[in-house]
Amino acid sequence: MKAVIIAVLAVTFLAGAAGAATTIEWWQFWTDPAVKPVIESMVADFEKANPDIKVKLTDLTWANGHEKIVLAFSSGTAPDVVELGSDWIAQFAANDQLADIGPMVSVDSAQFQGWGLSTYKGAVYACPWILGTRVLFGNRDLLTRAGFDTAFYPINWAQLKDAAKRIQALGSNLYGWGSNTAEKHRLYKKYLPFFWSAGAQIFSDDGSMCVVASSKAVQALRTYQELHDSAGYVDTQRGIEDAFLDGKVGFIISGDWLLKRIELENRKTNLLSTFVPGPTYPGRSFLGGEYLAISKDSDNKDAAMRLIRFVTSPENQVKFCKANRSANPSSLAAQDDPYFSSSLHLQTFIAAIRTAEHPPVDPDWVYIEDILEKAVEDAIFGSHLAGDALLEARYKIEELKGLR
Amino acid sequence: MSQSRLTALILLSPWILSFLVFWLFPLVYSLVMGFTDYRLVARDWTWVGFDNYRSLLQDGAFRSSIENTLVFVLGTVPVTTILALGMALLVNRQFPGRGLFRAGFFMPSITAIVVIALIFTNLYQRGGYIATLAEMVGVTPPQHGWLYNEGTALYAIMAMDVWMAVGYYMLIFLAGLKSIPEELYEAARIQGAGQLRQFFSITLPLLRPVALFILVINSIKSFQVFIEIFVMTKGKFDTASMVYFVYETGLTTAFQFGYASAAAYVLFVIIALFSILQFALLRRRQSLW
Amino acid sequence: MVRTIIRAAGRYLVLGVVLVIMLFPLAWMFRVAFMSPGSSIALGSLFTGDFTLGNFTDLFVSGSIGRYLFNSAFVAAVVTLGNIIFCFMVAYVLARRAGFWMKAFFATVVLVLMIPAHILIVPLYVLMLKTRMYDTYWALILPWLVYPIGIFLVKQYLEAIPPSMEEAARIDGAGEARILLTVVMPLCKPALAVLAIQAFFTNWNSFLFPFIFVSREELRTLPVGLAHYQGQQAIDWQHLMAGSAVAVLPILVLFVFLQRQIVSGITAGGIKQ
Repeated sequence: MKAVIIAVLAVTFLAGAAGAATTIEWWQFWTDPAVKPVIESMVADFEKANPDIKVKLTDLTWANGHEKIVLAFSSGTAPDVVELGSDWIAQFAANDQLADIGPMVSVDSAQFQGWGLSTYKGAVYACPWILGTRVLFGNRDLLTRAGFDTAFYPINWAQLKDAAKRIQALGSNLYGWGSNTAEKHRLYKKYLPFFWSAGAQIFSDDGSMCVVASSKAVQALRTYQELHDSAGYVDTQRGIEDAFLDGKVGFIISGDWLLKRIELENRKTNLLSTFVPGPTYPGRSFLGGEYLAISKDSDNKDAAMRLIRFVTSPENQVKFCKANRSANPSSLAAQDDPYFSSSLHLQTFIAAIRTAEHPPVDPDWVYIEDILEKAVEDAIFGSHLAGDALLEARYKIEELKGLR
Repeated sequence: MSQSRLTALILLSPWILSFLVFWLFPLVYSLVMGFTDYRLVARDWTWVGFDNYRSLLQDGAFRSSIENTLVFVLGTVPVTTILALGMALLVNRQFPGRGLFRAGFFMPSITAIVVIALIFTNLYQRGGYIATLAEMVGVTPPQHGWLYNEGTALYAIMAMDVWMAVGYYMLIFLAGLKSIPEELYEAARIQGAGQLRQFFSITLPLLRPVALFILVINSIKSFQVFIEIFVMTKGKFDTASMVYFVYETGLTTAFQFGYASAAAYVLFVIIALFSILQFALLRRRQSLW
Repeated sequence: MVRTIIRAAGRYLVLGVVLVIMLFPLAWMFRVAFMSPGSSIALGSLFTGDFTLGNFTDLFVSGSIGRYLFNSAFVAAVVTLGNIIFCFMVAYVLARRAGFWMKAFFATVVLVLMIPAHILIVPLYVLMLKTRMYDTYWALILPWLVYPIGIFLVKQYLEAIPPSMEEAARIDGAGEARILLTVVMPLCKPALAVLAIQAFFTNWNSFLFPFIFVSREELRTLPVGLAHYQGQQAIDWQHLMAGSAVAVLPILVLFVFLQRQIVSGITAGGIKQ
């Protein structure tokens, strides 16, 4: 009799354990009505394919998402899976908040682009999901009015400056170049493509010196300054995009969200898209993106990884990109999908991302960012010379990293 | 404890609790935090002594925030006080419609600063009203608007602040003017003193305590300027004030609580010194009379 | 005769110019709030432009401004009520009792009045996080339930009233609570009215701490909501001004009706110094 009771208890216990689902939490930033349904359907599909896992989805906004994540980690309430911007990863990794997922991803590493941004001190802390870069957009109508050929696109700085000035000269409230005002974490991102295209670097190859004040960097900043001074329409990112889409600005640097805006708002801009030019062709743009990480204190790392693999699979990435009009899936297989070759502009992005450069993966990147930003602002909006501003930035960065 | 003592304690408890939890504790906590490298991103913190204060001295952003705040205070407080006095004199005597004008002058003072900052962000735009006004008097406005320009951004905000505050201090001056006895003016008139003489010999000296009060509270308020800067420029274009520095360092991006606390205490000391200086300077002048 | 007319005309001219300068931005805000999005806001258009309620309906329907309005009203009401009750309690004791401790407590009130609030930014933020009051109504209400200026105001007022009525009631055998509520409070009505107005206005317009302590949209007050609208960059001036108008209107209405008390509250503080 006792044996039967024990057996029954054992069976019910095991059955219970097997049937109990683990719940994992996922915090992500895609809340806009065009894209959220795709995320939700992905989660539903995942739960169907993995009946032992339940996913609890939480929305974050770009306005305060970073703060929320920081708060969550500090109070020990971080989710299992969290979407992080590429420039945040190093700081969280350095403070021991993220799980080292190197061993879990070694098998599929070759199928994705962008591991460089999530590798810190040799360990991998996040999976690339949707990457992002910037390209140069132009208004073909304005170019034609300024006397350019219908197939023209600027292949170097000289041509860009010339084209922008000629559009500016059309007068009547038209501008050649959409120039960002001093917005935190935005202005310097417009300078960096010029910086990298010129061949400049932030740190020397051996990491012993900060070389932001190299002659190439100064050249790049001077070029940006010239565009700003001679043909600049200064406003917030949103403002210059509005003006560009309204046909008032000749060139802007922007990301793939502009394509989404054009489609959703039914804009009729005669669009040109090309690499951001350098002193010669082609230029190198800025690589960033959205990554998925697992928190160090998570109790469900395996389940979390399964969710990440599912979301970042080629099919799901293509599904997401189609809904969001994104142009840079991290999965190489996804990048080859015919969807991306269906549009000239999507092709520009795919091509740009293959040559884009990313900022150093450094936990102090937040502070370096601020210093660079200050230098660009001083040169563009203050009355500092480009060389002086960058030299000051160099001293501050070297001070910060203890290189002096 | 006696019944009445107990009652007193109960009645005082709201303040005792409020003071202890929301003032004394934060004051002390902040002081202690200023000696650590406590940050939200890090898992734990260490004691660093005066390192934060040392770093602050070398922090260009901190130094320029002090500079900007001083420019702000020294630029707006005297101007606001003088204009407020002028306005008070304008509406002091009884005349038809006086109440309306007084109310109208005061209205900006009761409007939320956020709203005013939003309105002026538009007015200061490239091609906006103020730019047009400037051109009418022959001044070329900055190419990209008054706010997107390091040379003019802070001054634009200062002008807006003066506009916003004059009505409030005008009321205080009005009360001060009313408290000056009519007989003094009568006596002066009998002795043949003109309006100007009356103003400098009677009005000004007797307004001294009110003026001092206004200067001190306006200074203390101005030292803490934050909202306008947050809404209009986010501290860019050389407009970051000290409180903005504390906010940006402590509550955004890197959440450096320790460092920001140290900065907050430096600001506190500066305000205290400035207030003491004001009292000393302005009190002494009075005794010379 | 002519000279007085010229002088009067001159005075009205100056007054008029100053009034226009002081009121134009607010008038502009109200005008633009009623213009349809995308329309020109140049000076001429202010007169020729259209007049629509669309911006307001947009904000209420899809913009959560109704929620912000509720939050501002709710928080301000609770804070005002709290201040009336608590400042009265504290001021009564400080005004009626003497001794070292009373002086000490009053000294703390004066001390707090003199300390700039910015020093609380970081420690209160950390406190709110640790006590889990961050992002809750508690954070918006608790720290502001006893404004020191309120204690100051009521105490000064009470000190000018002789305690004879309270003593008479006490002799009659009434309990302390009864005395406070039925005898003293009615006597303090003018001071409490001024206090209520000060507390309401200060709290309604406040931005710094409501902004720092709250991040969820459902908890934002009007000033904080407006700042976030602007940050979103998807909002145009017309809608932004409509939102601003909603934030300003209740205060303006109150001002029109309570002008005298508002003014006396400000000047009372000034003169006593």
